[in-house]
Amino acid sequence: MSTRIVLAVLCMVSVMISCTGSKDFKPIESGKVLFWDRQTTDTGDLLRAIISDFNSAYPGLPIEAQYSGGYSEINRKVSASIQARTLPAMAVGYQSMTVEYVLAGAVVELDPFVQDVEIGLTQQELDDFFPAFLEMNRYPDFENKMYSFPFCKSVLLMYFNKNVLKEAGIDHPPATWDEFLAQCRQIKATTGKFAYAANIDASTIDGMIFSMGGEVTQGRTTLFDSEPAKEVFKLLETLAKEQLAYHIPPESYDDRDAFAQDRIAFFFRSSSHRAYVDRLMENSRDRWGMARIPQKDPNNPRTVLYGPNVSIFKTTLEQQRRAWEFVKYFTSRDVTVRWALGTGYLPVRKSAAEDPRMKSFWEEWEYNRAAFDCLPFAVSEPNLGGWQEVRDLIEKAETAVFTGKQSAEEAAISLKKSADQVLKDFAM
Amino acid sequence: MIRRYVMYLFLLCGASITTFPFAWMIGTAFKTYKEAATPSLQLFPSEWQWHNLVETFQAAPFGTYFKNSFFVAFVVTTSVVLTSMMAGYAFARLDFPGRKQAFAVVLATVMVPFEVTLIPNFLIVNRLGWYDTYAALIVPWCTNAFYIFLVRQAFMGLPSDYFDAAKIDGCGHLRFLVWIAGPLVKPILVTVGLFAFLGSYNSLVWPLVVTGTDRMRVVQVGLTVFSGAEGVQFNLLMCASAIVIAPTVVLYFVAQKYFSEGLVGTGLKG
Repeated sequence: MSTRIVLAVLCMVSVMISCTGSKDFKPIESGKVLFWDRQTTDTGDLLRAIISDFNSAYPGLPIEAQYSGGYSEINRKVSASIQARTLPAMAVGYQSMTVEYVLAGAVVELDPFVQDVEIGLTQQELDDFFPAFLEMNRYPDFENKMYSFPFCKSVLLMYFNKNVLKEAGIDHPPATWDEFLAQCRQIKATTGKFAYAANIDASTIDGMIFSMGGEVTQGRTTLFDSEPAKEVFKLLETLAKEQLAYHIPPESYDDRDAFAQDRIAFFFRSSSHRAYVDRLMENSRDRWGMARIPQKDPNNPRTVLYGPNVSIFKTTLEQQRRAWEFVKYFTSRDVTVRWALGTGYLPVRKSAAEDPRMKSFWEEWEYNRAAFDCLPFAVSEPNLGGWQEVRDLIEKAETAVFTGKQSAEEAAISLKKSADQVLKDFAM
Repeated sequence: MIRRYVMYLFLLCGASITTFPFAWMIGTAFKTYKEAATPSLQLFPSEWQWHNLVETFQAAPFGTYFKNSFFVAFVVTTSVVLTSMMAGYAFARLDFPGRKQAFAVVLATVMVPFEVTLIPNFLIVNRLGWYDTYAALIVPWCTNAFYIFLVRQAFMGLPSDYFDAAKIDGCGHLRFLVWIAGPLVKPILVTVGLFAFLGSYNSLVWPLVVTGTDRMRVVQVGLTVFSGAEGVQFNLLMCASAIVIAPTVVLYFVAQKYFSEGLVGTGLKG
């Protein structure tokens, strides 16, 4: 009994502490514009160099990037800071995290900054962004307002192993899903190897549905029972049943390792994995390549857009303005190209294609352009409240199909039902 | 004789199984990225990559991180031992109104998981203006209910005649605690000190949450720089891990005797 009383007292004290004090948010440091970020080592150094250049070129409150752990740690830290009502000026995060911050009233709407005559973006500049980058930062649950801005962007690609394809007598990567399945069967029949190692991942499933010509949602209703979604689950079911593919353990990179050892022919991952694959292949670029994922209709290709964004928090007006100026600088053509070349992420501007540095990078290796070429047709995933939970359900459905616990049809229908319920509950 | 050999064989197997992960960590620390990323139980690298050491130290300011970790762990350990000793003695030997209730309150806090207290603790630290300071890293961990319980149990085991005899010779509670009772429960205090040091030295989430700059960061935060969204640099991570755990291994060997005695004394099993 005494334990219960003590726990109750502790909870009351916590609630009292969190309820006292001002309702306004304050900056953690008033003399600096803090940016909570996750870049480390070389990419962290590059980010700091870009910030240093910005601070020198545009005098004002200094921007300071602070490494704050992985995305989940940053999310936890921001959530705690929201409770404490003291925030950094900006932080990186995925759309699902931004939704949480918007609900807490901690994020600044960016439309007024974008449209500002003095510090905003001109129509010409806005047109220079790939539309999906801007669209994915608008939130349908919040009047379609813009609450974040693109930061580290990449697309879903197919990585193919030329050695394994050659061993199976195949001279080109598949362009369609039918061709993909046929090649998987040929690889199995001729080499005995698995053709594909699947990383259980909601974004990959979404990308596959897009490439089948489908959509994932319509409003706040999911479309997992639609024909394109069912086709994706049927494909996975066939791959698993015929032992053409296997799924790797969660949070692992066994697909990349198997690929580097010529044990599989294909895996699908974000284009940002390129540098890691390159190192695993020990820079033997004649052994592998990258291409857009197979399509239902190669004339109308689609893939999924990845990557975190940056959100600006409700600190002081001076900090918000300075943070926006940095975000604008960071997404300018010159800096986005510098960032892309140094990190492997994608430039967010169309005009990057005209930059001599990008051109010379693309000329280095024929597949260096594969990710950039996907940008005109890359589609962002839904950024609805509750989507993070739906993502977990998608991954459970994918696992169920791969392990044979559910048929493709059953998985698609039960996923649709449970995902719709989650979105419905969230809307209430 | 055969029984002895069989026993040694079992012990050897146990020791090998226990030591293998450490040996693998050290071997992997000097592998290439590809070799380290390949799932394999191969202990040693095909070619030793000594430059991994340099790369590891270049990846983050580990010198500052070590300094901070040692300072924080030292202050936390000292504080925990002192507060556990005093509170444990008070709950075991002093007769004051509400002693049982107060002890129940202290003991109940053991049940509250770290995740539950994270945000309230962060709020308090923030309100006090301690964000990104040593105070935030140290003060919330200066006492621990479980260690108070351990030390109290040890003091309870001392015969009350010791105190009566000391009292006749003019000894007060504080002197009795410092000169007689404290030394008698030394193995428990060393065990508490070791646990407190390891807990502080190995903590990650709290230091990550309450600090923002490299100036205040600790070694465990340093290890996270090798894990990116697109993968883990296993070779450098193992290299950094081998360096980071070295002080704790040395500490364990130094305090091994007391540690074993302490565990036996409290009835805990390792």
